[in-house]
Amino acid sequence: MNLTINGRTVQTDTPADMPLLWVLRDQLSLTGTKFGCGVAACGACTVHVDGQAVRSCVLPASAVVGKDVRTIESLGSAEQPHALQQAWIAEQVPQCGYCQSGMLMAAAALLKRNPHPSDADIDAAMTNLCRCGTYQRVRAAIHRAAGASQVTTAKVATQAQEVAA
Amino acid sequence: MKRRTWILSALGATGALVVGWGVMPSRSRLGSPAAMLPTQGDVALNGWIKIAQDGSVVLAMARSEMGQGVHTAWAMLVAEELDVPLSRVRLEQAGTDSIYGNVSMLLGSLPFHPLESEGGTKPTKVKVGEWVVSKLARELGINATGGSTSVADGWEPLRMAAATARASLVGAAAAQWKVPASEITVTAGRVQHASGPSAHFGELAQAAAASTPAGVVPKERKDWKLIGTAAPRTDVLAKTNGSAGFGLDVRLPDMVYAAVRMSPMLGGSVASLDSKAALALPGVQQVVALDALHGASAGFAVVGQTTWHARQGAKAVVAQWQQRPQGALDTQAIAAELQGQLERESGFTFFDKGNTDATEKSASKVVEASYTAPYLAHATMEPMNCTAQVKNGTVEIWAPTQIPSSARAAAAKAAGVSPDKVTVHVTLLGGGFGRRLEVDFIAQAVKVAMATAGKPVQLSWSREEDMGHDFYRPMHAARLKATMDAQGQVQSLRIKSAGDAISPRWMERAVPLLAGPVDMPDKTTAEGLFDLPYGFAHQHMAHVATTMGVPVGFWRSVGHSHNAFFSESFIDELATVTQKDPLEFRRSLLQDAPRYLAVLNLAASKAQWGSALPAGRARGIALHESFGSIVAEVAEVSMEGGVPRVHRVVCAIDCGTVVNPAIVAQQMESAVVMGLTAALWGKIDIAGGVVQQNNFTNYPMLQLAHAPVVETHIIASERSPGGVGEPGLPPIAPAVSNALFALSGQRHRSLPLVA
Repeated sequence: MNLTINGRTVQTDTPADMPLLWVLRDQLSLTGTKFGCGVAACGACTVHVDGQAVRSCVLPASAVVGKDVRTIESLGSAEQPHALQQAWIAEQVPQCGYCQSGMLMAAAALLKRNPHPSDADIDAAMTNLCRCGTYQRVRAAIHRAAGASQVTTAKVATQAQEVAA
Repeated sequence: MKRRTWILSALGATGALVVGWGVMPSRSRLGSPAAMLPTQGDVALNGWIKIAQDGSVVLAMARSEMGQGVHTAWAMLVAEELDVPLSRVRLEQAGTDSIYGNVSMLLGSLPFHPLESEGGTKPTKVKVGEWVVSKLARELGINATGGSTSVADGWEPLRMAAATARASLVGAAAAQWKVPASEITVTAGRVQHASGPSAHFGELAQAAAASTPAGVVPKERKDWKLIGTAAPRTDVLAKTNGSAGFGLDVRLPDMVYAAVRMSPMLGGSVASLDSKAALALPGVQQVVALDALHGASAGFAVVGQTTWHARQGAKAVVAQWQQRPQGALDTQAIAAELQGQLERESGFTFFDKGNTDATEKSASKVVEASYTAPYLAHATMEPMNCTAQVKNGTVEIWAPTQIPSSARAAAAKAAGVSPDKVTVHVTLLGGGFGRRLEVDFIAQAVKVAMATAGKPVQLSWSREEDMGHDFYRPMHAARLKATMDAQGQVQSLRIKSAGDAISPRWMERAVPLLAGPVDMPDKTTAEGLFDLPYGFAHQHMAHVATTMGVPVGFWRSVGHSHNAFFSESFIDELATVTQKDPLEFRRSLLQDAPRYLAVLNLAASKAQWGSALPAGRARGIALHESFGSIVAEVAEVSMEGGVPRVHRVVCAIDCGTVVNPAIVAQQMESAVVMGLTAALWGKIDIAGGVVQQNNFTNYPMLQLAHAPVVETHIIASERSPGGVGEPGLPPIAPAVSNALFALSGQRHRSLPLVA
């Protein structure tokens, strides 16, 4: 089938019911998108289809024919990183890093439709699972990318402090 | 067995005798240049450090990056001593030399009470125990990442290796320029003399390799520029653009994919397999039967064009399974059996102080409580996987493993070759938490690769297989009993707990060299109970080691993960009974443990303990030492829709010398979230031998919306580094549970908190 991935049209030998995730990972070697659960419960496989965040592990490839599929590999570039990628670095978000592609893609879709999300907006949109517990840094990084100065939500304390015993 | 006897025989006395530690001199961990991989243009100066032509530094990385930041922390130690920017340190996977073995991890298995080593000098028995185990560990060379030991273990050898390399480079420059070495400076990787000459490391490396300087010592603390700073992690960029390479991201020419199905009944076997329908599917190539390997249940793998084809094939195989010969595992039955053994057996005494028996007989008041904790799965975000190629009598594996030395041995055994025919590539790990100290999935991948005619195969588990075939945190039960005198002072504390011991089973599966003919008492069962800092005059702590048959493994913070819930909840109960504030009660018991007291006070003051909170909120506190670090946490909790909601967690930690405070803070945040998930919901049930939870839908995880704000405060210290990856986890369950008690007056004695 013909698919449009990251702005390029690719032809793949893909059964109609094969989930998009495996087309990306095993047929196109776009391994930035991760497998986590296979039942759309964890969000590690999040990509954009026509600008919407979707969980690609349960989305048949045939459903995205003629649509614009974007993966983490196209979120930004070394020369022009996405604002979220810059914020992720500034807030030192990732630990093991496995869920972070999905987190970033979910966050990018959120900012696209809501450039200045509130904490509640972030709560509702960011249902991806992270076993390393990077959540408060994810929140801080989204606010930062959205222009942190405009945000008056609860302060996130991530700064370690040296305190004399 | 007497305690003294087994301390000396612990950890595989058989292995110790084989390697003859007793007669061997202590060995340096500097290593020879030959220990490093030979690479074109690079010059190795010892077993850890190579200098590249462009002057950058190559560090042999002997620990696995699973989120804890070791790739950054180790590079910082080396960059500090060599006076190069952190960005100039490249990592190369360490080879197989025994210098890369983790000595600190084995030292952590010694069952000494931490208060014994609080003072300036350690008691003789501690010194002897550590000497013996260090020797053994040094000979065995087990390359493993676990026990929160990476920085502690690398602290001396890495700084020495880098300092020695620096001295060689400076010595080479001094000889070339005919100036005293003492007049040479090194700044940002540039070697210079005030009279003019300068060179980068690459220009001096060949000459430096010819000398091994003597009398080298690492920098003094006052001269550190990098250690102790919040340097940005070196792995963040790759983890924000999809380029970070995890085990599942390995892609090789002609690679095929394999899916695994194992007996859904733990420990079960294959009665029959009908592969016809599977092999008829497009893209499905082979079905390979798998024996029960290294603790896994038996099953089969299906090889296909992609992971999806392989998984479709695996579903289509018609398998008949057979229950394990000892009968089906069942957690309800195990829970009852655990209570029975806890009642009947006296167990192994890990700690005995004063005269608890006599004190109990003369007590004015007795307080008793029973606590339990369930089995838990690791649920790393990246499920188990390994990529393997078996070709021309050699084996190559690419694996997210915490224990490459055992992975190598397991791969060799599976392929029937000697270990020197096996090459292990350690990838990034999508979480480890102890699960990847096992080698079951390694052996499976090699077995399948032996059947694919030299093609590389990536074997991976579905989430369902991963959750249903874990090595679970063991179920534990404990009874705690305290007595008071007529004035209401607590006089004695007795704790007895029961549950499966992990270490003996793990050794059999993953490190057979350490496994002995009989099970030695396992410190991990009793850690967090026998080693409390509180100054009760009479204490007795024993553990009953059971063998229930469920595969059990090391789960982030191991015994501490449940034992801190038992001990720190019960301490809170005693505060209630004696009508004292939980903070004041703990303070009054820490006269002989000033570092613990300081940590407790720091957490309490930063959390404004005692100040007013919004209606419906309460605080709980817990204090716990593990892996060489002391942590106190204060949790602010309310109830929302009948479910506890944790708003804020203030952490204080004394982890000795800090290499990177930002990574310490990250690890505290991480441990709090993982521990909170477990405390609220974590539970694995087994019925008919089958694990009942199979995905995140019924083994839920904390999400961003409910994640607390975590603050970290670090005690400044000049002690040697303690652990950081695990110590933040144990206190969260009791801190939350204690807050719930403050809120509602209801005491939780069983995990998870949300039934």
